[in-house]
Amino acid sequence: MTPSPLLTATGIVKRFPGVLALDRLDLTIHEGEIVALLGQNGAGKSTIMQILAGVHAHGSYEGTITMRGRPFTAATVGQARAQGIALVAQEVNVVGELSVAENMSLGAEPTRLGFLDGAARLARARAALAAFDVDVDPRAPMASLDLATQQLVSIAAALYKEGRLLDLLILDEPTAALTDKEAQRLFERVRALKERGVSCIFVSHRLAEVFTIADRVVVMRDGRAAGAWPARPDTRDEVVRAMLGGALGDEQRGTSAAPAPDDVALEVRGLVVRDAGGARRPLVDGLDLGVAKGEILGLFGLLGAGCNEAALALFGAWEGPVAGRVRVEGEEVRLRRPADAVARGIGLVAQDRRQSLVHEHTVAENIVMASLRDVTRRGFLDVAAMRRRAADYVSRLAIKVPSVDALVGTLSGGNQQKVQVARWLASGARILLLVDPTRGIDVGTRHEINALWRQLAADGHALLLVSSEAEELVDVCDRVLVLRNGALAGEIGRADLDEERLLRMAAGV
Amino acid sequence: MRRWLGKDVLRDSTLLFAIAAIWIFFQVTTDGTFLTQRNLVLLALQTSIVSLAAISAVMLIVTRNFDLSVGSAVALVGVVVAVLTVKHDAPPALAVAAALAAGVAMGAWQGLWVTKMGVSSFIVTLAGMLYFRGISMVATDGSTIAPLPDSLADLATGFMAPGRAIALAAAALAVLAAFQVAGARRARALGVVERVGPAVARSFLPFAIGAAAFSWLASRQGIPYLVLLVAGAAIAAEIVMRRTPFGVQLYAIGGNPEAARLSGIRVGRVVFIDFLIAGLAYGVTGVALTARVGGAVAGSAGLFLELDAISAAIIGGTSLTGGRGRVFGALVGALLMGSLNNGMSLMNVPTFYQETARGAVLLLAVAADQLRRRRGAR
Repeated sequence: MTPSPLLTATGIVKRFPGVLALDRLDLTIHEGEIVALLGQNGAGKSTIMQILAGVHAHGSYEGTITMRGRPFTAATVGQARAQGIALVAQEVNVVGELSVAENMSLGAEPTRLGFLDGAARLARARAALAAFDVDVDPRAPMASLDLATQQLVSIAAALYKEGRLLDLLILDEPTAALTDKEAQRLFERVRALKERGVSCIFVSHRLAEVFTIADRVVVMRDGRAAGAWPARPDTRDEVVRAMLGGALGDEQRGTSAAPAPDDVALEVRGLVVRDAGGARRPLVDGLDLGVAKGEILGLFGLLGAGCNEAALALFGAWEGPVAGRVRVEGEEVRLRRPADAVARGIGLVAQDRRQSLVHEHTVAENIVMASLRDVTRRGFLDVAAMRRRAADYVSRLAIKVPSVDALVGTLSGGNQQKVQVARWLASGARILLLVDPTRGIDVGTRHEINALWRQLAADGHALLLVSSEAEELVDVCDRVLVLRNGALAGEIGRADLDEERLLRMAAGV
Repeated sequence: MRRWLGKDVLRDSTLLFAIAAIWIFFQVTTDGTFLTQRNLVLLALQTSIVSLAAISAVMLIVTRNFDLSVGSAVALVGVVVAVLTVKHDAPPALAVAAALAAGVAMGAWQGLWVTKMGVSSFIVTLAGMLYFRGISMVATDGSTIAPLPDSLADLATGFMAPGRAIALAAAALAVLAAFQVAGARRARALGVVERVGPAVARSFLPFAIGAAAFSWLASRQGIPYLVLLVAGAAIAAEIVMRRTPFGVQLYAIGGNPEAARLSGIRVGRVVFIDFLIAGLAYGVTGVALTARVGGAVAGSAGLFLELDAISAAIIGGTSLTGGRGRVFGALVGALLMGSLNNGMSLMNVPTFYQETARGAVLLLAVAADQLRRRRGAR
C-alpha cells in the first residue's frame, strides 16, 4: 500500500535581501511519515520549515503548496496551526514562573464569558500531556522541570493546541540539547504519533539518530532538494556525500605524533567541584588529569558526570566552591576567576557561542577582547593594529567573513566558533579548554574544525576537549578520560578508541 | 551618500535633521531671535550642566547601569564647595579639589555597593538620590549658602575672548588632523586600508564642520568657559570610550556580560572604575552648577538632572539594554532638549507646557529610533 501524500510543495522559491534561500524546492510528505531534513547551515532547511509553519506568509514566496489536496495559504503561525501544521523551535521558550498548564495555553487561553477558564486549561493540558505520554503535573511550575521535559511539554502543547492532534509536526533540531537517553524518550513518542497518522519533519546534525528514527532522509543543498533516500544503513554514505556536495576528502583520522609525556602543560590533582548551593554530593569528586603539549585529551561522560563542570572550574569560571591543585607548565597556580586563567595562557571555547561572543561587536573587536593590552600603545587602543591582528587570524583560521568589521552576530555557527579560537590564539593561550565546541554545527564545518584542533595540537598547544558526542572524540583525541558520577571511570588510548567502548564505560556496563 | 558616510554618521545626522527642523521652526516663530550668536551661546550655556551629566550617563548606561543619584550628588558637591569657600574662607582651588574628591568618593561608595554587594545600580542610586539630598539639607539646614568668591563665579560667567577661542579650535582641529593622518598611515602600513585620503577625509569632515560652527559662534562675544569645559569633557570621554581598552571593555560588558567575563575581563573592576568616573563627573558638574547659580541651594540644585541626563543619552542613541551609545550623540540629545526650552521661552510658552513638550519629544525620539533599528535589522 502506498501512503497518500499529506503535503506537496512544488517549485518553492524564497528570496531574502541578497540571498536566494530556496531555489525551486520540491518536497513531499506522506501521511504518518517521519522525514529527516539534512543539509549544511544555509542550505534552506529553516526557511522551508518556517514557510510550512506560517512564519513566512503565503505570498512572500513563489511556488505552490497543497495540504491534503487543498491549497495551503497560511499567512500566520495561527493559520498554519489551524491547517494542522506546527513548528517547535530548537530553543525551548518557556516562562519558568508560570505553571506547565499556563505555559501550554499561552496565547490561546480558554475563556468562559470573557473570564479565564482555569479548569478548561488544566483539562486541556492533561489531555495533551497524556496524548504525548508525558508524565508531568500540569500545575507544577515550568522551572521545576529539566530541559528535556520542558521540551516534551512544548511539543505536547504544539501538538494539541487546536484541541485535536496536528497532522504535521515540525521539529527544528529537537535533540540538540538532549542526552542520548532523552533523545530516545523523544523518539519513542514521535514513533507513537506516527502510528496515529501524524507526520513529522525534523532537522538533526546527528546522523546516527537520523538513521534510527526517520523513514526517509531528504538532503538539501543551496536551497534545493539534492536527493531523498530511504533511511537505511546502506544509504548512509550516499547521504553524507550528498550533504557535502562531494567536497569531502577521505576521512582523515588524526595521526598525531606521540606527545612527550614529560612536557605536561596542564596538570590537575584532586579536583573537587561543588554546586554553588554546597551541601550536595560534589559534581566532580577528586579528578586527576594531565594534558601534554601537542596532545588532545578528551573528557567524556553522560550528562551529570561532571565533564563540563571540571572544564569550567579549570578556567576559573565555575560559580561554586572548587578545590584541588592545578599546575600550569609545572607552576602551581590558583584560578579563582577567568582573568587568572587567561593570564596563565588558558582559553575556553564554550559550547554556547551566544555566551562567549558579543554579537553586536565586530569580528575584530571580539578577536582582540582577551588581548586588548597587546593592541594598546601608550594607553590608547591602536585600531589599525587591532584590525591587522584580527585579519591575520581570520586568514590563518580560514574564517569566512566579508571583513573584520562585520558583526559577529551575522556569522554562521562554525565561523563564530573559529572567532572564539582566534581570540585565544591572539591572547597567546597555550592551553585550550573546548567544551562541546561543535554543538549545533553542520557536518562539513565540523570536519574543518576537527582538522583545526589537530593543527593546533601539532603547533604544540595542549587541548582538553569535552564533548557529549563520542563520535567527535573518536575522530580527534589522542586519549580520552571517561567520567562517571564525577569520578574517573577509566581511560582509553588512541588505539582502542571507539564509540561503543566510550559509551559503555560512561554508562558503567 | 549612505555608503560614503557610513551608518553611524547617518544615524547621528537624523538627529541633526530633527534639530535643524526645530531651529528653523523657532527661527520663524521668534522673528529671527533664535538663531543669533547671542542666543545660541546662551543655549550652549543653558545646556552645559545637563551635557556634563549626560556624558557620564552614557558611560554607565552602556554597561547596563543607571545613575539616578546624579542630581542629588551634584547638590552635595555644591554644598562642599560653598561651605568651604563661604563659611571657612578656603581658597577656591582647594575647595574645587575637595569637591572633586567628594564626588569621586560618592562614586566609589555607590560602585562598591553595585560591584561588591551585587545590588542593582538602579536601587543603589535611587537610594543615593534620597540620602545625598538628605545630607545636603542637613548640612546646610536647608538654607542657601552664597555668595561664592568672584574667582569661582567667573568659571561660570566668564568668556574666552573670540580670538583665543578661535585659535584654540584651530589648534584642536590641527591636533586631531595630525592624529588621524598618523592613524591612517599606520593602518596603510599594516595593510588594513589602501588609501589614506578618503579615510581621513571621512572622519575629519564632521569635526571640521563643528570647528567652523564653533568659530562662528565665538566670533562675537567669545565662548563661555563652561561650554569649553563641556567640549573638553566630551572629547576626553569619547577618547576613553572609543580608543582605550577600558572603553572597549565597557561596551563588551553591556553587550554581553557573560562573554566579557569569559574572555578574562574583570567585570566588577571595570564597572567600579566606571562609577569612579561617574563620581568625577559629580565633582565637575557640581562645581560648574554651583558656580553658575552663584551658591549652594541644597533643596533644588540639580533637581531632575538625572532624568534630563538619561533622556539626553537615550535621544542621542544610547541603548537602554547596554552595549550601544555615543557621547557625542548624548550632547546632541541635550542640545535638542535645550533648544525646546530655549525656543519656547523665547515664545513665552509657560513652563508647564514646556515640560509636556519635552516628555513628548523623548517618547517620539525613542520610538523613531526603534523603528529605524527594526528596519535596519531586516
